Amino acid sequence: MKMRNILLVLTLVAASVLTGCAKKQDASERVLNIVSPAEIKGFDPAMADDLYSGREIAKIYESLLAYHWLKVPYELIPNLAEAMPEISKDGITYTFKIKKGVVFQDDAAFSNGKGREIEAADFVYSLKRLADAKTTANGWWVLDGKLVGLNEWRDKYAKLPTTNYDEEVAGLKAIDKYTLQFKLAKPFPQFLYTLAMGFTSVVSKEVVAKYGQEFINHPVGTGPYILPKFDQGKRIVYTKNPTFREKFYPSDASPEYKDLLTDAGKRLPLVDKLIVNVIVESQPGWLKFNKGEIDYYSIPKDNFATAVKDNKLSAELSGKGIDLMISPMLDLTYTGFNYENKLFHNIKLRRAMSLAFDEKKSNQLFYNNTSFYAQGAIPPGIAGQNKDFKNPYKGFDLVAAKKMLSEAGYPEGKGLPEIIYDIPDSTTSRQMGEYFQKQMEQIGIKIKVSASPWPEFQAKLKKRDVQMFGAAWGADYPDAENFLQLFYGPNSSPGSNSTNYNEPAFNKQFEVATKMQDSPVRTGLYEKMNKTLAEDVVVIFNMHRQAYTVRHGWLRNYHNSDLNNDIYQYLNVDTAKKEELLKKF
Amino acid sequence: MTASATTNISVTNTRTKPSRSMWQHTFHVITHDKLSCIALLVVIFYFVLALLTFMGVIAGNWGAEIGPAYSPPSAQYIFGTDIFGRSVFLKMIKGAETAVAIGLVTSIISLIIGTILGAVAGYFGGIVDEVIVWFYTTFSSIPFFMLLIAIAFIMGKGTTTVFISLGVTSWVGLCRIVRGEVMKHKDREYSQAASALGAGHYRKIFKHILPNISHVLIINFSQTFESAIKSEVILSYLGLGVQGRPSWGTMIDDSKLELARGVWWQLAAATLAMFLIVLAFNILGDALRDALDPKLKGK
Repeated sequence: MKMRNILLVLTLVAASVLTGCAKKQDASERVLNIVSPAEIKGFDPAMADDLYSGREIAKIYESLLAYHWLKVPYELIPNLAEAMPEISKDGITYTFKIKKGVVFQDDAAFSNGKGREIEAADFVYSLKRLADAKTTANGWWVLDGKLVGLNEWRDKYAKLPTTNYDEEVAGLKAIDKYTLQFKLAKPFPQFLYTLAMGFTSVVSKEVVAKYGQEFINHPVGTGPYILPKFDQGKRIVYTKNPTFREKFYPSDASPEYKDLLTDAGKRLPLVDKLIVNVIVESQPGWLKFNKGEIDYYSIPKDNFATAVKDNKLSAELSGKGIDLMISPMLDLTYTGFNYENKLFHNIKLRRAMSLAFDEKKSNQLFYNNTSFYAQGAIPPGIAGQNKDFKNPYKGFDLVAAKKMLSEAGYPEGKGLPEIIYDIPDSTTSRQMGEYFQKQMEQIGIKIKVSASPWPEFQAKLKKRDVQMFGAAWGADYPDAENFLQLFYGPNSSPGSNSTNYNEPAFNKQFEVATKMQDSPVRTGLYEKMNKTLAEDVVVIFNMHRQAYTVRHGWLRNYHNSDLNNDIYQYLNVDTAKKEELLKKF
Repeated sequence: MTASATTNISVTNTRTKPSRSMWQHTFHVITHDKLSCIALLVVIFYFVLALLTFMGVIAGNWGAEIGPAYSPPSAQYIFGTDIFGRSVFLKMIKGAETAVAIGLVTSIISLIIGTILGAVAGYFGGIVDEVIVWFYTTFSSIPFFMLLIAIAFIMGKGTTTVFISLGVTSWVGLCRIVRGEVMKHKDREYSQAASALGAGHYRKIFKHILPNISHVLIINFSQTFESAIKSEVILSYLGLGVQGRPSWGTMIDDSKLELARGVWWQLAAATLAMFLIVLAFNILGDALRDALDPKLKGK
């Protein structure tokens, strides 16, 4: 009895101490509190090849084009460009006029510390920097083979001690101060999407020259926010860029987003300060959201059951003015085979494994039954995905799987070596690995799960040092090409094709499709290619996920987006409402 | 001659009952103290359990699905079920095998390294001693867990890695103590007598000195055993531990997420199992020290 009492007192004391320490939020400040669920790799646009770093650089840097904030399907609009480019009839020459009067953020690198105006030459410099072998940019693949003379320029200087940025490249020219011209090596209709990606952001050569290696920690762009202090780790604080050009909140919207027009015509950015909390574990993030310290958050899988019932938010959460937003993501999760390993050239083995995988249960265990089952590589919402197509080698069928496995030459798994399955090392990934292991055990296939930290896992893929692996791909732009390229032979590791699948027939079709403009014929070809991949069981296609995001009542203009990394300038905080709602916490 | 005869007589007179050997004394102390007796039984129980699961007599089917995912504890599922509907109870028992195996192998590795280095340093002194002392001082100045994680990264993951990484990081304490004890003993009479009889260094260290300081080794062994179990749990919690079989650490790692949905039974089962064996080892270690340490004898 005594023990229990002491414990009770202890808990009470602890509780009061904790509440005593909790800082009261100042609701009158116009601050956005957001979370980055992964560590940031730094602020160099050429290096930001993961989603999380991409989101950070987009607060500071800008590209020629951007996606319209309030339009579905995604629509490209000019950003640093004055207007959409003039494209020659053969689809080879793109001529941009760039906006006048846009200035770099103030920095000691410029004379008098005042940011100067950007010019067409800055874009030429930035893209050459992306191509320069000495930059060792992660984002080079977006330009590789795309512009006339750029590959030659890169190769020429790769082995020389210094790179001559003044040497003209035919495909990348500043015609005058405000005119920029691209010449493509071959037609590539997705080229414009490339110019909306973070990799192609404009950087200043003065800043790169001044900070050298430290440039990655010292971002100076043209965007809506600046990073006033550069040595930030777990909590990154941005403030409004005082010299940001006149840019306004859009006044037109698709019917889905009509209710997000309250701030139409207002000057961007809408909030003064942006605080990014780097919180890798989902539980602390969720607790912070529940205390009102974070404005929006995606619901962790283990909190899902208590937070959401029948796609509606629990009374407790909705009572606090919290909203639930559900939206399909443009992504694909899959279990890959490494085709460097001859074992996986046996199509019947692949089909058997695909048939033995219980996707329904996986959806229930890991996605709370919210994901869509992937039939092929292309997610719903992108032209080329055929709604009526059903992958014949998916859906849980143990009998068929066992039959297929013996046809493959391994009756009940006999004669098959133990297969190593590589995954990243979070708790959930480990559980997924164990699940895959259990699934394969049912037909006698032995799997050994090997978990590594995220960077090491990626390195293994790049070195082709895996047998099977679990991975996901998120769209860079809304075009099926971005998913089909995952299986294009020349993109093999260290490119994005981690499976190293290299099928001449598929490669040829891919090359044909990428040169075509958007048309029903191209969509037909995409569908056909998608079907080929599915029937070939090129990987075990798993899920297209859905985002379940919760947002506080005071956060305005937010919606889920896979492609807009620059969303933060559009978000607004209703301070009066925040003050009122915080009383309920 | 006369003198020696007198001594003989007096000895027979005082020998009312035969004196106990070190081990008999230890056994006597432990069995006559209720608490240490229970602790010993608990430890033996865990060892038997580990042996039985190792041979597959019990908990061989821990991977089987016995019910729906996340069933709470009930008469049917003693400690509930986990995410895949596996019995948490069986996982807990299977986890004992992992824990005991790791405790045992780690302690043996650390015992071998620590004793040999310590004995050599203490016995030879001089430059040998300086080198070894420098080595272990440097070694122990590296934060223990950093070193563990580094080794686990280099060697890849798995049970062997845990064995080795824990073994090679936990010998410093023992090495220090052995060094000190050997220094003390190497100039004692019995040791000098051994030298006089022509015993070599090897014989003196291993035949004469080490048996005389074996109590230190035993006490240290039980302490290393217990801390190895704890370290394994932490390593597995960090995702660096054993792979593909249950361990208390991975169970706790699972519950890190599951607690949010109110699933507490994995955490409870794993901590209970760990609590009992760690506590038992602590008590047993104390009892062993009381019994074996000559400075405490008779108190």
